[in-house]
Amino acid sequence: MTSTDASPRARRTSRLVALCVASAVALMCAVPRPAQGFGDRGAFDPRTLLAGGVTKAPRPSAAARWSWELIQRTSAPARLQPTSVRADAADLPTAPFVVWSGDVAAEPLTAAELSGLRRYFALGGVLLVDDAGVNEAGEPGPFGRSARRELSRVLPDAARISLGPEHVLFRSYYLLRRAEGRVLGPKNIEAIVRGGQAQVLFLSHDLGGALARGVTGAWEHPVVPNGDGQREHAIRLAVNIAMYVLCSNYKDDQVHAPFLMRRRALVGGAP
Amino acid sequence: MSGASSQTVTRFAVAQDLPGWVPYLAVALGAASVALLVVELTRGERGRRLLVALTGALSAAALVLAVLRPVRVAASETAVGPRVVVLADTSRSLALVDDGAPRTAARDRAIEAVRKAASGARVTVLGFGEGPPSTLTAGSATAHRSDLRAALSAVAASADERPAAVVVVSDGRLDDPPEDASDDALRALLPGTHIHTVATTRRVPRDASVRRVSAAGAVAHVALPLTVEVGCAGGLACSELTVIARELRDDGPPALLASGVAKVRDGKARLDLTVTFERAGPRVLEVSVAAPEGDEIPENDRRFLTFNVARERIRVLHVAGRPTNDVRALRQWLKSDASVDLVAFFILRTPTDNPNARNDELALIPFPVDELFSEHLPSFDAVVLQDFDAQPYNMERHLPALAKYVRAGGGVIMVGGPNSFVAGGYADTPLAEVLPVTLDGSPGGTAADTTPLVPRYTEAGRDAPLLAHLRKLLGDELPEMPGANVLGDVRAGSVTLLEHPTRRTKSGARMPVLAIGEQGDGRTVALALDGAWQLQFSELGGRTAGRGYGALWDGLLGWLMRDPRFEPAHLQLGSACVAGAPSVLQVHAPPGAKGALVVEITKLASNEPPTRLELPNGATARELTLPKLAPGGYTARARVGNSPTTRLDFACEAGGDEWADSRPDVERLERLATATGGAFFHADSVTSLPLPPPTVVATERRVTPLAPPWAWTLLAAATLGLSWITRRRNGLR
Repeated sequence: MTSTDASPRARRTSRLVALCVASAVALMCAVPRPAQGFGDRGAFDPRTLLAGGVTKAPRPSAAARWSWELIQRTSAPARLQPTSVRADAADLPTAPFVVWSGDVAAEPLTAAELSGLRRYFALGGVLLVDDAGVNEAGEPGPFGRSARRELSRVLPDAARISLGPEHVLFRSYYLLRRAEGRVLGPKNIEAIVRGGQAQVLFLSHDLGGALARGVTGAWEHPVVPNGDGQREHAIRLAVNIAMYVLCSNYKDDQVHAPFLMRRRALVGGAP
Repeated sequence: MSGASSQTVTRFAVAQDLPGWVPYLAVALGAASVALLVVELTRGERGRRLLVALTGALSAAALVLAVLRPVRVAASETAVGPRVVVLADTSRSLALVDDGAPRTAARDRAIEAVRKAASGARVTVLGFGEGPPSTLTAGSATAHRSDLRAALSAVAASADERPAAVVVVSDGRLDDPPEDASDDALRALLPGTHIHTVATTRRVPRDASVRRVSAAGAVAHVALPLTVEVGCAGGLACSELTVIARELRDDGPPALLASGVAKVRDGKARLDLTVTFERAGPRVLEVSVAAPEGDEIPENDRRFLTFNVARERIRVLHVAGRPTNDVRALRQWLKSDASVDLVAFFILRTPTDNPNARNDELALIPFPVDELFSEHLPSFDAVVLQDFDAQPYNMERHLPALAKYVRAGGGVIMVGGPNSFVAGGYADTPLAEVLPVTLDGSPGGTAADTTPLVPRYTEAGRDAPLLAHLRKLLGDELPEMPGANVLGDVRAGSVTLLEHPTRRTKSGARMPVLAIGEQGDGRTVALALDGAWQLQFSELGGRTAGRGYGALWDGLLGWLMRDPRFEPAHLQLGSACVAGAPSVLQVHAPPGAKGALVVEITKLASNEPPTRLELPNGATARELTLPKLAPGGYTARARVGNSPTTRLDFACEAGGDEWADSRPDVERLERLATATGGAFFHADSVTSLPLPPPTVVATERRVTPLAPPWAWTLLAAATLGLSWITRRRNGLR
């Protein structure tokens, strides 16, 4: 059938369809195109820190999963393909967050690494030390101990303190009662606080182990002792850490206090 | 000045070479000799005692003359009259009219009467008002104060001859000395000098007025106690006066801040009111009374007062559409500044996010958009909308209020991001109208340009004080930004400080990425970037320890809050503005400021078109004579070249303090005269002044001895011999 053979009804129908399509196109044009984002430079980027002989992350898929979970659960943008950065590289202070993770003892930091990390902290950067070699009791492994030693060289005047559930880290997005990772680990988080901000967080929970997920979609490491519930709490801790990095102590603002006190009271009765 | 007369005088004196005490000793010895002679003669025989006494007295006198050796002095002498300083009140209260003529007329007549009464004196007439006295111009009454103390202090400190007397011609309504000054305080004004006073008038006009408004320093959002003193004089019938306090604003009619009724007792009343200014900076307050029928001086029924309203802290509302590194940087900077009281709301979860938790497991609170942008909005000094989409949160309905908030004096900064400006639904909204740039919400409009860019300074940006610190740190260098919101042209009167290196607006101009502007009373900033955080975290930020970010925001927020450090120019009035009289506006532009100076004068709370004044390119300190203004509040906006505008709010009064209390204060003048030993007169009764005698000054002097010294010695010897012979013949030794 050619167009000349078409019946008047068919021609009317095609004109109607054409009109509708044209109208739809016009309407689409009438709406200003939304911004497509200015890249992901300002997004949360759990960069892997390469320092002290650590040349790759022990849980390589954890960072991407962390970003994915953050995007799914919150309004925060995140890099789905996180980067890595050397402690002595010039681009270390180009974003405010790095994760230093390992499962074996770190070597002493070189002078260039010490200098790079000091500059990074001077700008207000945050470092998460995630001990992938922690045992099931949550005692620091060789990496955790060596990282503490080396960071005391980077920040010799700063002491580690314990952050409990009253700290804003535990309510920056989720209301958490304790820290959890692949292992249950200690309830609190050790930290170095400078200028009112927790700049170094020491996790003895193998958070990356709880987040790591293979290409098949299967979790790479079992979570002990509480299984999936604990993994969910670990993910929530990761989200809270990201929110703390992006919003700092926002949830400490007085305007949130009455709401959070009421909710704490409610959650207090839950397991 | 007159008061000097010359004449030639002749008189006798003793020899000039004698010490001052010798004449007294000689006369005393001579007198003692005569006395001893008299005693001697009264005890002896009577005989020829007279002759003995006569020769004895002659010899004693001759001896004294031999010592004194008298001379004749002929001198030309000038009698100089005492210096009298007449201090005439030149304050504006002398411009008040009594019986159809201003008080200055009575003052000037009184000065002439003083000149006549002190015809033998050297009379200097000066006018006093503010500071040291100056030459008086007949009929002048322009001073904003009547500071007699300052005038007398200047007279005392002057290198000129100290006056023998001072004559004060005034209505007595002095600022200093005050009404309750003690007699000791009055005497201390010019110690040792009589102050005569002349009252120009004794008539009290029929007048109800706002005599005084007292308040402590005003702080924005804090209740300010205001004490209003009102008066009713001259027999005007008023037992109650209604007092109203209104703030004159640029964005509409006057805003009523407080009112009350003052109960008048003994012609005066005091009323305590409380007012609250919502905005910091110079604010003009009108305080008025409803005067009853028969009020002769309506000009002082209203006072216009300029309050420099301070802030305890800058109250900032920070609303962010999503947490990013840029949001983090701004929050940390705002929190680090102790002068900022920060209220922040970040959208942490959108309706499409799945937190995989019950609500009670989340530390999230509802975004109180209605509460924030209706009830609490006026309490903020600045609102920062960062990458915030207005549409999903029903913010659109509050945009008119936000625009009104700006026009009423608030500050808004819109920070870029994927959900800001056009993408945030702000185009064609009331808020867009107060932004310094246009937003293109038309079909096919583009919301963002995601091409990385390094912003460039415009010429105005290089000269702007608000970016001066940033440029000092980084020079012209800026970090690469990942993209920019697409903005339209900068609005008329607004200024582009940073521009896109390649993109242009529809008009062909380079697209602004940082622009500032004024709308009504308020200011707005458009920053079409979300990568400013890289001034802190970047290779460039690392080189400057991240200080560039703080420098940028210190400037932006400071400019928004009219911090003088970031104003492109400084404005001040040469003196208080008086309605109907020309005033001088001083404009201090920074060194190197380029372009013509344009000043617009707008009357507050009025629809009158602004008055525009322009000066060509010139010196950095410039003075502009303002046209004669009517009573009220005014805003002066000045712009040098393409720089941002600088603003000054000021009040212009018809009477001011000098007319606030129109009653003459004759009693104070009487007390001043009495305390200092002077005399008091009414202007129509100055006939004579009690002045000290003139000072005589010898201008030519000639001394001639009556006889040579040997003649006096010979005379003394002869008379002594004669006396000795006479005594021997009368049986005396």
